[in-house]
Amino acid sequence: MDFVCNFPFFSILLSLFSGTICSILPGRAAKIVNRLVITAIAIMSGILLVYLLNTGESFVYWMGHFPAPWGNEIRAGVLEAGMALFFCIIMYLSMAGGAHKLFNEVEESKHNLYYILINLLLSSLLALVYTNDMFTAYVFVEINTISACGLIMIRQVGRTIEAAVRYMIMSLLGSGLLLFGLCIMYDLTGHLLMSNIKESVALLMQNGEYQIPLIVSIALMCIGLCIKSALFPFHAWLPDAYGYSTVSSAAILSSLVSKGYIFLLIKIIYRVIGFDIFNSTRIIDVLFVFGLMGMIFGSLSAIKENDIRRMIAFSSVAQIGYIYMGFGMGTQAGMVASVFHILSHAATKSLLFIAAIGLTEVSGGSRKFIDLTGAGYRNKWAGVAFTAGSLSMVGVPLFSGFISKLLFAQAAVQVEGKMLAALIVLGISTVLNAIYFMKTVIRIYATTGDTAYPNMTFKQMKVHAVVLVFFILLNVILGVSSQPIVDMIEQGLAMFA
Amino acid sequence: MGPNLWMNYGEAVAAILFCIGFTNLLLQTNLIKKIIGLNIMDSAIYLFLAEKGYIAGRVAPIVTDGVTSVEAYINPIPSGLVLTGIVVSVSVSALMLSLTIRLYIRYHTLDLDEIAAQLKKEGR
Amino acid sequence: MYLILLPIFFPILAGFCLLVCPKKPDRKLLIITTGICLVVTAMLILCTLLSGKQELTLFYLTRTLPIYFKIDEVGILFCLLTVVVFVGAGFFSFVYMTHEQKEKRYYGFYLMVFGVLNALCFAGNLITFYLFFELLTLSSMPLVLHTGSREAIMAGLKYLFYSLCGAYAGLFGIYFLYHNCDTLTFTAGGVLQTTAIAAQGEFLLLTAFVMILGFGVKAGMFPMHAWLPTAHPVAPAPASAVLSAVIVKAGVLALIRVIYYIFGVSFLRGSWVQTAWLILALVTVFMGSMLAYREPVLKKRLAYSTVSQISYILFGLAAMNEEAFTGGLLHVLAHGLIKCTLFLTAGAIIYTTGKTRVDELRGIGKEMPLTIWCYTIVSLGLIGIPPTGGFISKWYLALGGLSGNIGVFGYIGPVVLLLSALLTAGYLLPLTIQGFFPGADYAYASLQKREPHKCMTIPILIMTILSVLIGLFPNILVDYLADFVGTLF
Repeated sequence: MDFVCNFPFFSILLSLFSGTICSILPGRAAKIVNRLVITAIAIMSGILLVYLLNTGESFVYWMGHFPAPWGNEIRAGVLEAGMALFFCIIMYLSMAGGAHKLFNEVEESKHNLYYILINLLLSSLLALVYTNDMFTAYVFVEINTISACGLIMIRQVGRTIEAAVRYMIMSLLGSGLLLFGLCIMYDLTGHLLMSNIKESVALLMQNGEYQIPLIVSIALMCIGLCIKSALFPFHAWLPDAYGYSTVSSAAILSSLVSKGYIFLLIKIIYRVIGFDIFNSTRIIDVLFVFGLMGMIFGSLSAIKENDIRRMIAFSSVAQIGYIYMGFGMGTQAGMVASVFHILSHAATKSLLFIAAIGLTEVSGGSRKFIDLTGAGYRNKWAGVAFTAGSLSMVGVPLFSGFISKLLFAQAAVQVEGKMLAALIVLGISTVLNAIYFMKTVIRIYATTGDTAYPNMTFKQMKVHAVVLVFFILLNVILGVSSQPIVDMIEQGLAMFA
Repeated sequence: MGPNLWMNYGEAVAAILFCIGFTNLLLQTNLIKKIIGLNIMDSAIYLFLAEKGYIAGRVAPIVTDGVTSVEAYINPIPSGLVLTGIVVSVSVSALMLSLTIRLYIRYHTLDLDEIAAQLKKEGR
Repeated sequence: MYLILLPIFFPILAGFCLLVCPKKPDRKLLIITTGICLVVTAMLILCTLLSGKQELTLFYLTRTLPIYFKIDEVGILFCLLTVVVFVGAGFFSFVYMTHEQKEKRYYGFYLMVFGVLNALCFAGNLITFYLFFELLTLSSMPLVLHTGSREAIMAGLKYLFYSLCGAYAGLFGIYFLYHNCDTLTFTAGGVLQTTAIAAQGEFLLLTAFVMILGFGVKAGMFPMHAWLPTAHPVAPAPASAVLSAVIVKAGVLALIRVIYYIFGVSFLRGSWVQTAWLILALVTVFMGSMLAYREPVLKKRLAYSTVSQISYILFGLAAMNEEAFTGGLLHVLAHGLIKCTLFLTAGAIIYTTGKTRVDELRGIGKEMPLTIWCYTIVSLGLIGIPPTGGFISKWYLALGGLSGNIGVFGYIGPVVLLLSALLTAGYLLPLTIQGFFPGADYAYASLQKREPHKCMTIPILIMTILSVLIGLFPNILVDYLADFVGTLF
């Protein structure tokens, strides 16, 4: 086994330990440690990705050298390594882009706490991505929840604490369901390792035994993860949590935390239940319907919103709907589209959050649309970035959003019964997206007479501007050279099976 | 269905308790009651696991009297899972309680709806 | 080989540089830069067109979707129109824009729209076309929004949402076609798979209809025409001129590409889609003329007239025979030149007098004789009086209608066109009549010569002459069209 195979384990441990170390460091040092750790993990994931692409095979890593049914395992394939790399990039950019805001909004003494939480979050995300063990996944889901809750309430105002409570409640409901489903699955199969469960499930299906408990278990796990990733009817906690927390938190929560759960769901679908068995249940129809509803109702709520941050948050609901719609199609193409949309949405949504903060800063800190009039002129970088993000969300070609919509449509055309519904809702949702995003873009470029708000120059926002440029580049890269990425996703999903 | 249910009454009770806890966590407006609901829900799962892990007539897998046959012992993993789960639920409860305290200090109420109303009045 | 990229990306980049340029440039410098850019782009286009047929795959969006440019006959026709209109209206705006704010932004987006339109003309497959179709909406919107008044913003939003809805209806079709075509490259005669026609013929027809409706939005076709009379008049006059003369033609081009180069005429001829399309086009022709007739504000009246005239072209396309198609393409040119001239004269009138309603303009012909003469000549062209450009195109349209493969529409069509021509005379000529013959009670004493600046009159004059030339020497064009029109049927 090559040395590279240790990297997943190293990256999880590294971020866990650095979290611990950050607790005794002052804020500034903690920040440096955090940045270094994220960079190191990104590099390791990159090397791992290259290694896996070269070998073309996934590998299983025994924690503590205990063989299969007893030990705890880590598994890495192209998709896992790619996700880890992508998560690190987004996290680094979000942290760098929101750093100045963090400085203003959070008490000095709590800065290192923030970095502890970020490191913990990263480690739990990596563990969710890499783990091959269901119970480990559950434990890290809880760690993820706790650190995400901390990220929301690090900015101490009434709204965020209330949002954190709501987030916790919904998340705990979700993880309770997940745990219960997991226990039933364990009860049915006697295993906790994903590959072993899959074999047993296949056997059970073949013999036609325990059909109802099996379905119940799958359903419980699915609903649990749907609640946690804010699929449409379970999204009540989301706008406050994304809307009022400090901007790095909002960007990370919307683009990474919910995606971590979705990725876990993909793993469960492929590695625990088996793709074909999952598709033979009616659960995918439920996911499909809720995905479609999310796409429409999320956008409708966003249109009604009068607060730019909450509007972006509601748009997340719609985008999560897209992803679940892809699951609901029950085809490989739909899954590929969903995974691509995870990437595309992560890149776009964090860009929008970071750009929105630049706009609100030059509008006296207000996020009401009326105050944002002309903000695009006062902060040119943020204005351009917000426009680019909006175009990507709306699905203009050359940006990532177009490719994911194209992939969804391509997948939908192949599914007989769901084609029309999917295409029509895709169209409606795109138009609704266009309504609220373009409305905002026009608003920030509307000419005003004279405002009391100062302009922002490049010198005042160097880091912020550079981060925005990187985000735009990321979006354009996803949009222009999507083929290698799609190939990689396909290869990764093939490795899952 | 009937006899199965009777034989597995422990699991049935666990499922009912889970539902009770779940409903409480979801529908109660009082934060403390919510947290109690959370704990009922988690405990129900541990009950389920413990019930599944126990086989009548066998003991914990600690070899004291030289019996090494697998038949004599239960599988220790469910118990281990229960322990891990308890650790998780304790930490989550602690976090929830601390959040509740913060909210109570700010808004002098434990009712989540009332807090939401006050927040709306604050208008931020 | 890469020459084809120059006329597309040079103006886009030039416009972009102008937009991001942080300094507030001197007005003179700005105008000179823009003028040079316009002329250079025109040169580049001529070079590209003269260097013969070329194609270029820029890069692949996904494995089967290249960004691909190709020059073909239809593209050349639209491209020439674009160049003439853009250069003319550009020079016109150098003077006109003195009484507007934010000229830098205007010229920046103006150049970008120019580049995007060239790209539309050269787009070689549906996905490239769609890409630039979206960009066209986005880059032309600031022209509508330009004045920044509440009315302009509302009009801009309306324009945006109508266009985007239309584009997404088109995209819906592209999604479906992508699955049912071997390639999305524009090929004369269509690219539908025969198996797909057999298996999903009905659904393909529905798709075609949705795409016609969708791209028809940009062409101002009933029932989605409402954005046009709102958006065109609020823009500055030269911007309205390009909007009405070429940007709506992008919708026409889209329909030509989709119907003649993707679906293929043989698939749609005689289907319910053709009938529905004919009905919609004729309804629009009549309704547009009626609304224009009732409209007192000059620029709005011209916008309604655009609604009506574009549907002449659509009628020609929908009839799906060679004569009508030729007529449609000729009318693209004729209407482009004429409508541009009309909007520019309206702009000149507004610029010198500040009056916008037709009934306020009594005696204007005495004050600005050259402008109003041009207005009158092109009006006659739009009505369809020989020997102007409009006559020859309408002749071919009527011929195509009567040639008899569209059943009862063969008679209804020409009748509606004739009625609409009468209405056109009714709404365009009052300005001439009142302008030259203000009546006895007109205060001749207060009359003063105020012909506008040369920068305004020369483009108007050139375009008037061109529109007459089309009518005088139509054979060159007709022969040119005849060469390739046959391949489409």
